[in-house]
Amino acid sequence: MRLTSFLLALFISGILNAQETFPTTDVSDKELVMHAFVHCTLHIDWETTVEDATLLIHRGRIVAAGADVEIPEGTVVEDLQGKHIYPSFIDLNSEYGMPATNRQEWKPQPQYESNEKGAYGWNESLKCDFSAARAFVPQEEAATEYRNKGFGTVLTHREDGIMRGTSCLVGLGTEVHRNMLIMDAAAHSSFRKGSSRQKYPSSLMGAIALLRQTLYDAEWYATAEDRRDANITLETLNRQLELVQFFDAGDKWDVLRADRLGDEFDIQYVFQGNGDEYQRLEDIRQTGGAVVVPVNFPAAYDMTDPYLSRMVSLTELMHWEQAPANIARLLKAEVPIAITSEGTKGDQFIGNLRKAISAGADEAAVLKALTMTPAALIHAEHLIGSLEPGKWASFLVCSAPVFDEGSIIYENWIQGQSFVLKDKSLVDIAGTYNLTVNGLMYTMNVSGKAEKYSAALEQIQGADTLKIDATLARDRDYVNLRFKPDSLSGVMRLNGTVYMESRIWEGKGQLADGTWMDWSAVRQDTGKGKDREGRGTPTGSDTTLQERPIVYPFMAYGRDSMPGQQTVWIRNATLWTCEEEGIIEKGEILIHNGKIAAVGRDINLETLFPRQEIDPVVIDAKGKHVTPGIIDEHSHIAVTRGVNEGTQMSSAEVQIGTALNPEDINIYRQLSGGVTCSQLLHGSANPIGGQSALIKLRWGASDRELLVEDAAPFIKFALGENVKQSNWGDFETVRFPQTRMGVEQVYYELFLRAAEYDREWRTYKESLLKLTRKQRKNAELPVMPRRDLELEALAQILKGERFITCHSYRQDEINMLMHVADSMGFTLNTFTHILEGYKVADKMKEHGAGGSTFSDWWAYKFEVKDAIPHNAALLTHMGITTAINSDDAEMARRLNQEAAKAVKYGGLDEEEALRLVTLNPAKLLHVDDRMGSLSVGKDADLVIWSDHPLSVYARAEQTYVDGRCMYDLEEDERMRAAINQERSRIIQLMLDEPSGSKRQPRARHSRHYHCDSEFDEITD
Amino acid sequence: MQKMKSLKRLILVLLAFAAAHLANAQTPAPAQKGRILLLGGTAHLGTGDKIEGAAVGFENGIITFVGSEKNVTPAEWDEVIDTHEKHIYPGFIAPNSQLGLMEIEAVRATKDYAEVGTFKPHIRSAIAFNTDSEITPTVRSNGVLMGQITPAGGTISGTSSIMQFDAWNWEDAIVVEGDGIHLNWPLVYHKHRQDGQVNIQKIKTYEQQLQEIQSYFQQAQAYAKLNSETVDVRMEAMKGLWDGTLALYVHADDVQQITEAVALKKQFGIARMVIVGGYDSHLVADMLRDNEVAVMVRRTHTLPRYAEDDVDLPFKLPKLLEDEGVLYCLENSGSMSEMGTRNLPFLAGTAVAYGLTYEQGVKAITYNTARILGIADRLGSIEKGKEATLIVSDGDALDMRTNHISHAWINGRTIDLDNRQEQLYRKYESKYKREGTLEE
Repeated sequence: MRLTSFLLALFISGILNAQETFPTTDVSDKELVMHAFVHCTLHIDWETTVEDATLLIHRGRIVAAGADVEIPEGTVVEDLQGKHIYPSFIDLNSEYGMPATNRQEWKPQPQYESNEKGAYGWNESLKCDFSAARAFVPQEEAATEYRNKGFGTVLTHREDGIMRGTSCLVGLGTEVHRNMLIMDAAAHSSFRKGSSRQKYPSSLMGAIALLRQTLYDAEWYATAEDRRDANITLETLNRQLELVQFFDAGDKWDVLRADRLGDEFDIQYVFQGNGDEYQRLEDIRQTGGAVVVPVNFPAAYDMTDPYLSRMVSLTELMHWEQAPANIARLLKAEVPIAITSEGTKGDQFIGNLRKAISAGADEAAVLKALTMTPAALIHAEHLIGSLEPGKWASFLVCSAPVFDEGSIIYENWIQGQSFVLKDKSLVDIAGTYNLTVNGLMYTMNVSGKAEKYSAALEQIQGADTLKIDATLARDRDYVNLRFKPDSLSGVMRLNGTVYMESRIWEGKGQLADGTWMDWSAVRQDTGKGKDREGRGTPTGSDTTLQERPIVYPFMAYGRDSMPGQQTVWIRNATLWTCEEEGIIEKGEILIHNGKIAAVGRDINLETLFPRQEIDPVVIDAKGKHVTPGIIDEHSHIAVTRGVNEGTQMSSAEVQIGTALNPEDINIYRQLSGGVTCSQLLHGSANPIGGQSALIKLRWGASDRELLVEDAAPFIKFALGENVKQSNWGDFETVRFPQTRMGVEQVYYELFLRAAEYDREWRTYKESLLKLTRKQRKNAELPVMPRRDLELEALAQILKGERFITCHSYRQDEINMLMHVADSMGFTLNTFTHILEGYKVADKMKEHGAGGSTFSDWWAYKFEVKDAIPHNAALLTHMGITTAINSDDAEMARRLNQEAAKAVKYGGLDEEEALRLVTLNPAKLLHVDDRMGSLSVGKDADLVIWSDHPLSVYARAEQTYVDGRCMYDLEEDERMRAAINQERSRIIQLMLDEPSGSKRQPRARHSRHYHCDSEFDEITD
Repeated sequence: MQKMKSLKRLILVLLAFAAAHLANAQTPAPAQKGRILLLGGTAHLGTGDKIEGAAVGFENGIITFVGSEKNVTPAEWDEVIDTHEKHIYPGFIAPNSQLGLMEIEAVRATKDYAEVGTFKPHIRSAIAFNTDSEITPTVRSNGVLMGQITPAGGTISGTSSIMQFDAWNWEDAIVVEGDGIHLNWPLVYHKHRQDGQVNIQKIKTYEQQLQEIQSYFQQAQAYAKLNSETVDVRMEAMKGLWDGTLALYVHADDVQQITEAVALKKQFGIARMVIVGGYDSHLVADMLRDNEVAVMVRRTHTLPRYAEDDVDLPFKLPKLLEDEGVLYCLENSGSMSEMGTRNLPFLAGTAVAYGLTYEQGVKAITYNTARILGIADRLGSIEKGKEATLIVSDGDALDMRTNHISHAWINGRTIDLDNRQEQLYRKYESKYKREGTLEE
């Protein structure tokens, strides 16, 4: 039997070598004989199984499949009684056969321009011109690994760059021409720039901006009649936009980010995820996209050292437990998924699939995710994915249902080419035998599987049982056995043949003295009776895993669900209204539906809600103080992979809001300090930074939900040492500008260009309006200008539609920028830091700028040596809207104390001091109509303090955001206990894991951002 | 002629005075003259006790009276300062500080706190202490009157000294020249990046580094008994560790680091050991207490290390140590530590908000610090016979809302509480007033 399939393989490969268009060099093979597999359990597709079926294949393709298949005369017929045939698997996430990426050596000298010499686009991370099909070279070692896992086909692309060009769909055989199924199968993108050493982009938001701009450029390139230059990158990109679009996303948030990008350009990406999708299942489902999920579940950590194990976060512990249930949860939510073997080695892949099934994933659905779904996603369902006639004969021959524990894949046929993984003709010889040799009877236990078996003998001697060690060697149907019958004898050696499916072994042997004799063994029991009964799910099934509640955010201090918008009546409190009402002693405040419903004394519910039954939670706040929620005008929390895109003098196109991390513990920590709203700013590495994001500290919400609805658009500017790269070492001395003189010119240049850009668009829009009917009919349309995201943002500033927050220290540059603004006809909204604001307060007032400063930071740079802690007070006294900000995740949770320093230095009135962190920042951020004070109709963002809110002794006891109690001192105590319990529970499970000693605790990798934080965050 | 001369002299004197003022330097105070009495208010003694309606008197730089205002005759004193409704404290002490060794963080030329090398006990901070730093007066204005000026970097970073903050030169500023050796305990684990994952791995050279520390201490201990004419300056600098004149300050945070440091103390019989930083110190508090190892608690205004940690863990660490009977004080190292030294009292305020009693909070930046630094016999509390290094605050000095230091004395010398920042404030305030843009 085995010989037949071996010959057949040879035979087919002989045929495959003969390419139709190639000149013949030998006698041709006509490939006339078909091959039939009969009496098998045939899984035609993921949901159709036929018992006692026949699969008929010819010339690499399926001719017929099913129960009633007529087998023509002259067909090779193979009996697969008891065996299962499945369509072989498809992996959509592969680098199979791709050339190694050329990594350049790191150099301290910055590279600002592309090193590509040809007529390519400007950025090296856009590798649209790459074609996987052209670069593809089969790699036998990698193909073997895939085939052993059960794969027949992979979608392969080079994982390098933000735009990566096209992938090809290839069979995992050895015939490259036949195996190349689709040459340009899909186009691939990511947020990682890969081997490019060009500076831009260095951040996630930069990568997103680059993708957006490039897609707009491609649109323009395709239609612009007036363009002068050729661009291979855009040219190839435009051709690829017709293809299936894959996005190598990564974590759950990246999936959502990629989806939003796709929505902007009517692209529905297929996402390559990382297996944490269950943590934001509903958001993932709503993308409408399919997800390619890995099954590379994390290994257990070594938790032996209780101190060191603190380095393993609760997130990692929970993920370790939950990862196997990801597929079950995705299936339940009806998210279309394909499964990739990425990140698994050898048997681990099938083993982890079994874990996923144990955790509740439906077997058929898993099979679908390995066959039909990937085929459909790549538009190859006419080629692969099931065993219907006409499709490629890519299938697996298995000993049992493929996901059953112990099931063996014997053969993996790829487009008619057979690859034997394990010899299916090998009989399983395990069992208990009666061995008769030299007139003695032994009981022989044979255990093991495949080629590796061992034997142990027992001999009954009266009342005793004598145990004898034996050595068993098995070579196909030959067995060799040797043992010492007793301690006095020499070694007896037996050779024999296995007959009748191993029911009988027979042969000859030699005693120690060289005497020859006959021997035989008769099997009594296969020893597998129990295992073979029924097929059932693999052992250790735990479907409750997928029922376990997920906490939001998926980490410590996360909650099952968002706290509700309560109706709360706080009484007997000292209310700091931050309004004209001032401080109300023994005051009351009522919040309802997320808004402040009443403030003052003696609130009457019936008058307030005449026709409503209101049952508020009443809080007696005797001795306590209530203030508006603290607003941090300058923050960098909750931002991921880069707060600076300082790789160009202007990065106005990047948006902080595209790179939010709602799972930053600092959100929770700052809630504990009474903060409810933060403006997340781009850093200060370049004169024109990126667009800001205004968030509320909605702990547990998604990135999108953090954003304050309809917030006024802002952008970050910066001046001084950072933008000049003064403190960046000896190599960063080439990017313009390097002096304050240069900084001014950046602004003039860019604002002049922005004005020009705006004119161009205005003219275009006007000429559209003036079109005659005839012109319209003849499609004589004006040429649409190119959309430029950077100039667009700057033009918004000129039109008063976007506001500037400018990082600033020294009076000369503050003055300079006000001159720039005056000459361009706009007003600077906020100078942030503004440490020498006190020197130019009169000028700021005249210009109309506000200031947001530190309380007492200074002396960290040369340019801040004249900073004084009286700044906030003096600016306020000068009539400037002034705030105190943090720019620091630690200080942010004590902003009330920082405001108190304005009382200490400069003698500000206490109510006025509190406004520095409440109403004033609200004004600066243009949200004072709904935040910043305790007044009716505003958002119910407030804090209950244990003490005078400007005092070092005050602790926030409750912090409300939108009327939701997002922080509660008592709940916090309970959560601490719960965190400890949950950790301990999972650690116990982890300690039980056999692989528990393999993985060291992982470092907690969290970055604490300031304005100056400047790293390349998106290189692979 | 004579008149011209005296006029010239007058002009010269005036010019010199003006120049001194323009240069914004505060002139060091002269020695105490006459007997000074602080009458009334609350005296926070630093020892954990306080006196309401207190009177504190001092002469020749030494405290001669501490008690109730009822038991004092004001007329007997040369100068009586009314401190009713006010608070009197010992001058606050900033341990583990680089004040005076750095002027502007981003300007390398102004940084003098980290010498090259690994074992450098001979590096002495005292001689680089810049008494003309513009940062120091701003620190003084908030009540911080002295500090342990400490070199950084390497395994043994050097020898710290205790300096007071009002002096013409470093010699005058010295309170204790050489109070201890600073050992940065090597990191046991580090971040290792592999296959896109960051793993914590035991540092391969950790055992080696430990071995080096061991053998360094062995050598130093042996050298102390050596009778040799050839001097080894490094070994010489270590000598004080064996007779207890120098403390060993071990900068360490993790349980393992702290545990192994305590083992070193036992092994070499080091009389005084202090853990600096001590994030994990509360987890091994009993061991620290039993081995008489004190802790300088890192800046309470710090974020917890791990997301799971109690949100307020750094705030309440002093209370956790207090409850376990560990001797501790507060320090302010970390980013912007020099200019932030003026916030030292507020670090104590936070510790009070999170569990300490008020007087314990005061103690954590005065008496406890003095005990840990080995100067409690002279400083750190308001007690008869101690040096008159004191402050008076209009309100609670541990709260930024009320901290307003009206008077300060170092050894009885009356300190100028003005600073360059106050001057800049006045300068621009008066500009706007002059121009009429700011109300008088």
